[in-house]
Amino acid sequence: MIQDIMTVAETAKLIEAGNVLLLAGDEAVLRQLPKGNWIGGTIPYFISHAEGGLATRDRIFVTDVTGVAQSVEIVERDANGLAKVYAEGPQEGFSVVIIPALSKAHLSFALNAPNYKDFGVRPLIGWISGVHLDDLGKVTPKVFNGVTGNALEEGAVVLQATLKPGKVAEVGIVNLFEQGGGDILTFPADGFSAKEVLVNGEKRNFAAYIVKNKLDTRLPLVADYYGALVNISFQGIDEVEGEVKFYAPVFTGIRYKHAKPVADYGEAFKACLENKCQLSEDRVVFSCNCILNYLYSGLEGKKTDPFVGPITFGEIAYQLLNQTLVYLEVHDV
Amino acid sequence: MDVPSMSRPQWTDLVTGKKTYQLKFLAAKILLGRLVHSVKENPTPANIKSCIEQVYNVYAKNAGSPSVQEDLTTIFG
Repeated sequence: MIQDIMTVAETAKLIEAGNVLLLAGDEAVLRQLPKGNWIGGTIPYFISHAEGGLATRDRIFVTDVTGVAQSVEIVERDANGLAKVYAEGPQEGFSVVIIPALSKAHLSFALNAPNYKDFGVRPLIGWISGVHLDDLGKVTPKVFNGVTGNALEEGAVVLQATLKPGKVAEVGIVNLFEQGGGDILTFPADGFSAKEVLVNGEKRNFAAYIVKNKLDTRLPLVADYYGALVNISFQGIDEVEGEVKFYAPVFTGIRYKHAKPVADYGEAFKACLENKCQLSEDRVVFSCNCILNYLYSGLEGKKTDPFVGPITFGEIAYQLLNQTLVYLEVHDV
Repeated sequence: MDVPSMSRPQWTDLVTGKKTYQLKFLAAKILLGRLVHSVKENPTPANIKSCIEQVYNVYAKNAGSPSVQEDLTTIFG
């Protein structure tokens, strides 16, 4: 199974051969591709086996799932239609969703996915498409439906893959962040921003709390979902308005803590794989990692084997995550 | 292992948080993160039943997954 950086011509050859592809690249290169069994999202940052982390507008990250997929269907969904994303997933397979950053679909999925009908009944993995950081505010992130050639800046594309017989898909995450030993933070409302926070049950202004306690906002808030650690990354603090903005929503009733620092992402990553994850490289068919890990941990030129793939503006493992590597494994059973 | 019936008491222990298990199946863990809180806030029989149905459904629809099989062994022995 291919998971590699390719030229437009190399990618086009695979599409023309009928392969089923998950693609990531700059808008200009994705627009040059022929129609076929592929979905794509815009982003020019990747991790590859050969080069490690890199930014390129000229090449495409290709994940070829032809070897595991018996059949695929590619659909477009608007913000409301995404509510069916679990229920309509193939019975013996998996779905991959790509959503443009800052679209209505992105905001809706982030807030509502945990309450969609049949949450978690089918494996769902995916990512939030983005842009080169130099283009922030100038160019909109897009997703591509390879079957129709449509490029969308609103809505989502979903590839629903039925696996070949005897195979089963599992979604996993690698999150190097753990809850620190500080205060327990809860929020009075769901949302991508918060003015108020309950600090160990006491109401405070969150922006003032962060400033007073000198919290490093490169480190996320971490929630413990029955042992699965889920991050919420900080987007910014408006001290004048007393408001804190996040890259994923906080939810009421969930107890968050500020993360412990990670000294060296690369070393911590290796240690995590050796100690916690029992992974076989040939079972991992797709993975992606977060742009904030790429930036804050200096992943340019560094490798995170066995994981390669796009660097994204948000990761989806059933629901939206931040500062997390997500991956799809296919087992023979 | 087939997914044990919803009437088994272990499902109630799971969603009420009476017993905590080291689980592997990611979808169930994320779901349980919400359901255990929901039951703490609203411990009515109707809500407990609804939460059991949700987590049972997630396990039943993914019964072929290796991590689901590990979880079922962890929970039910």
